[in-house]
Amino acid sequence: MKGKILVVDDDNIIIRSCKGVLEPMGYDVSGTINPREALELIRDNDYDLLITDMIMPGIDGFELIKRTKELKPDTTVIAMTGYSIKETIKDTLEYGIMDYLQKPFSPNILADTVDRVTNLARKLKSQLAITEEDDVDGTHKIEAVNALIKQYKTVPGSLITVLSKTQEIIGYLPPAIQRLIAKGLRIPVSEVHSVVSFYPCYTMKVRGRHNIRVCIGAACYAKKADSIVQKLCNHLHFDEDNVTDDKKFSYELVRCLGACASAPVIEVDHDTHGTVDPDKITEILKDYN
Amino acid sequence: MPQITADDLKNIKAVYKDPRQRGARASIMLCGGSSCSTRGSLKLKETFEKELKQRNLDSEVSIYVTGCNGFCTQSPLLTLYPGGIFYESLTPEDIIQIIEQHILKGEHYSKSLYSTGKDSIAAFSDIPFFKFQTSRVLKNRGLTDPDNIDDYIGGNGYFALLKAVTETEPSAIISELKASGLRGRGGGGFPTGLKWEICKKAGSSPNNRNKYVICNAGPISRNISDTDPHSIVEGMAIAARATGASKGYIYIREPEHRFIISRMNHAVAKAKEYGLLGTKIFGTDFDFDIEVATGAGTFICGEETALISSLEGTRGFPKPKPPYPAVRGLWGKPTIVDNAETFANVPLIILNGANWFRSVGTEKSPGTKIFTLTGEVINNGLIEVPMGTTLRSIVNDLGGGMKKKRKLKAIHIGGPTGGFIPESLLDTPATFEDIVKAGAIVGSGNIIVMDDNTCMVNTAMFSMEFAKGESCGKCSPCRIGTTVMYDKLVDITEGRGKPGDIEILQDIAFEVKRTSLCGLGQTSPLAVLTTIKYFRDEYEKHINEKWCPTGRCKALTTFNIDEKACKGCTSCARKCPVGAITGEKKQPHKIDQTICIKCRTCFETCTFGSIRILGQQTGTREA
Repeated sequence: MKGKILVVDDDNIIIRSCKGVLEPMGYDVSGTINPREALELIRDNDYDLLITDMIMPGIDGFELIKRTKELKPDTTVIAMTGYSIKETIKDTLEYGIMDYLQKPFSPNILADTVDRVTNLARKLKSQLAITEEDDVDGTHKIEAVNALIKQYKTVPGSLITVLSKTQEIIGYLPPAIQRLIAKGLRIPVSEVHSVVSFYPCYTMKVRGRHNIRVCIGAACYAKKADSIVQKLCNHLHFDEDNVTDDKKFSYELVRCLGACASAPVIEVDHDTHGTVDPDKITEILKDYN
Repeated sequence: MPQITADDLKNIKAVYKDPRQRGARASIMLCGGSSCSTRGSLKLKETFEKELKQRNLDSEVSIYVTGCNGFCTQSPLLTLYPGGIFYESLTPEDIIQIIEQHILKGEHYSKSLYSTGKDSIAAFSDIPFFKFQTSRVLKNRGLTDPDNIDDYIGGNGYFALLKAVTETEPSAIISELKASGLRGRGGGGFPTGLKWEICKKAGSSPNNRNKYVICNAGPISRNISDTDPHSIVEGMAIAARATGASKGYIYIREPEHRFIISRMNHAVAKAKEYGLLGTKIFGTDFDFDIEVATGAGTFICGEETALISSLEGTRGFPKPKPPYPAVRGLWGKPTIVDNAETFANVPLIILNGANWFRSVGTEKSPGTKIFTLTGEVINNGLIEVPMGTTLRSIVNDLGGGMKKKRKLKAIHIGGPTGGFIPESLLDTPATFEDIVKAGAIVGSGNIIVMDDNTCMVNTAMFSMEFAKGESCGKCSPCRIGTTVMYDKLVDITEGRGKPGDIEILQDIAFEVKRTSLCGLGQTSPLAVLTTIKYFRDEYEKHINEKWCPTGRCKALTTFNIDEKACKGCTSCARKCPVGAITGEKKQPHKIDQTICIKCRTCFETCTFGSIRILGQQTGTREA
């Protein structure tokens, strides 16, 4: 089973079609047209994902999500909306909504969104468990991003600046944030995404607390940067996104840090380490906690 | 200090005191460049201050933290005046000894002096690495604090701008530059004066101020911003004066290069504070402002049109040329894009004249060029040499020869998309045209020296991996061609090479070079073309004999011990990380091929040369 999903919508057709699409994909899908019943189900079961309509009689979508988060903070949420998502998008981080499905949606979009969100949520969950104490102040961050957008709204060609600064604030660029920026700067979402996916500096994935950048430019390669990577991987256990299990370190390969004379070079956070001896990589990392 | 005047500038210079003469007893110039500071030069400063205070010397000895010295392999380092004595690879204990022996007793502290292996050299100017250099753009290296604008003015800084704004007509600036023969230091070598002239003439009306000056400050510019960021600012301002631009951008490709970003931001802010940027510069009607802009990584944005796309906030796609940016660039307006080293050369030409500039270098490539020298030579670091210096001189005189007396196989020049020049062509002079003739490019000015342990096929594969990863994907020759070449090279290095592959590679490389839109696609095939041209036999060994003579391509290698040569010293057995080597002391050892991971450790460990690298299948050929 790929995951347990609860679909809440006052329209039974939606529930039935969600089941029709998602069950063959290997998801365990339950559904209800009654938000109150949904809360009971959530209390008694452990759902990985809640897909909910926003406008419903009795309890509306926001209320449902809020109470769900109180009951089971780990539940991932996709919001279905029949109207423009302009007002609701700013609540993304506040309510913990991972993504939106704008009605009407095709089976393909539903399948893609659910797959993407469950994958992302799995990675995020372990991350959140650790950073919860220091910072889950989503609203605060969103305010900062909004201020940024306001500041750069009238500056032509400011997209790259805004994206860079947003990544500094949030740490990565999830789809919802890209949409927020697109709206704010009056640029098509596709263009924002094209820029995010083009430049290697931008990441849509969560990074570790300390990011190690190993230079594999020509000079560093000639000085055996590959054995640095190898030692690093032997020493720490990275998952497929190159993040360690405890989210302490992540690594990425970069094309040239411009310090060829001190090759091989690595950067840990903002510190440059030159003439790195692969065998001594653990000593360098000792200073980062 | 807004609206600085000529007199103010002269005053600053007059009262400026050289940091080399600031201490009554001694002046210490401690390098604070990125390499030295990562290796603890700031800790050394604390030690100095503490120890000097304890000995009541703090009023007689001055310490000055300078920009990068360029000799980064020896960091952390300092020079001590009077005398310019050079101390390297320092630890806090060495600092105490320098105070005790040098400053108090006047004797050199020999342990930290530069050593050639036989003798040690005390004076900074006698060390070959520095002796063979001609410092022009880097004249202030190791002598000034890059964050201090007064240091720059003290060394005639901004006087060229003063001359350009108050005494010289824009057209005279351009004719001086054209006479100097300065060529773009970014790699292509386009004549700078000509580019500026095109930009000056472009635009609808003669007073059209909607023009831009962009400094392409890629990673390599770290070198200049580390020593003299103001020379870039001044060069850009002169460019603006010459072409009639009113706005400049210093484009830094990598937002993670906080070091350069903060340094350039600081330099621009200082220049604004002094009124050297802004409105009515030197009381004239010349206005010019600079903004530091950052990109978001990616190699392609070093290409000028891709850079402009990135500045406009879109994907960094190159555009077809012509129209050249000098005619239609940023936001469709005439734009000058030059790299930091080019701009840093401009104030020197304006101040000293075209003839002075031509006094070094060659007829077609006058002046000096900065290279980063790295790889298997003894001295690594940043060098500035007259153009036309032979590559052999760079390797032997400045680089101090090969490490461990290895044999030089090739040098890789021009950065990741550059080409390879074999040992036999080492007498090639380092000029734009001669290096192109040899099949490579000047490019970023990165020289990597490779020894005979390097497999050229493997290295070409790495170059293609880079090109494939960095190709922006806009035009198909580069996007598809680099991938096909990479796949082919992977096949060859993994033993799936077929006769005829070399010709296919050559054909593709030639077409990619011929038909690509921008410099990336036009230069990245050089790695394949030059390795085939100069090291064809190595390709043939990989393909026909399934044998990698250097042992780099694991699939084409077995390591064996020559029983006759093996002395049974056990050092290889002790070093082997997987325990594949067995044998009694003083008896010939054996390698268990089923366990061996082909890491080359035994080959590098053995001092008797008894490890043989043989081919995978035949197992009969000897290295």
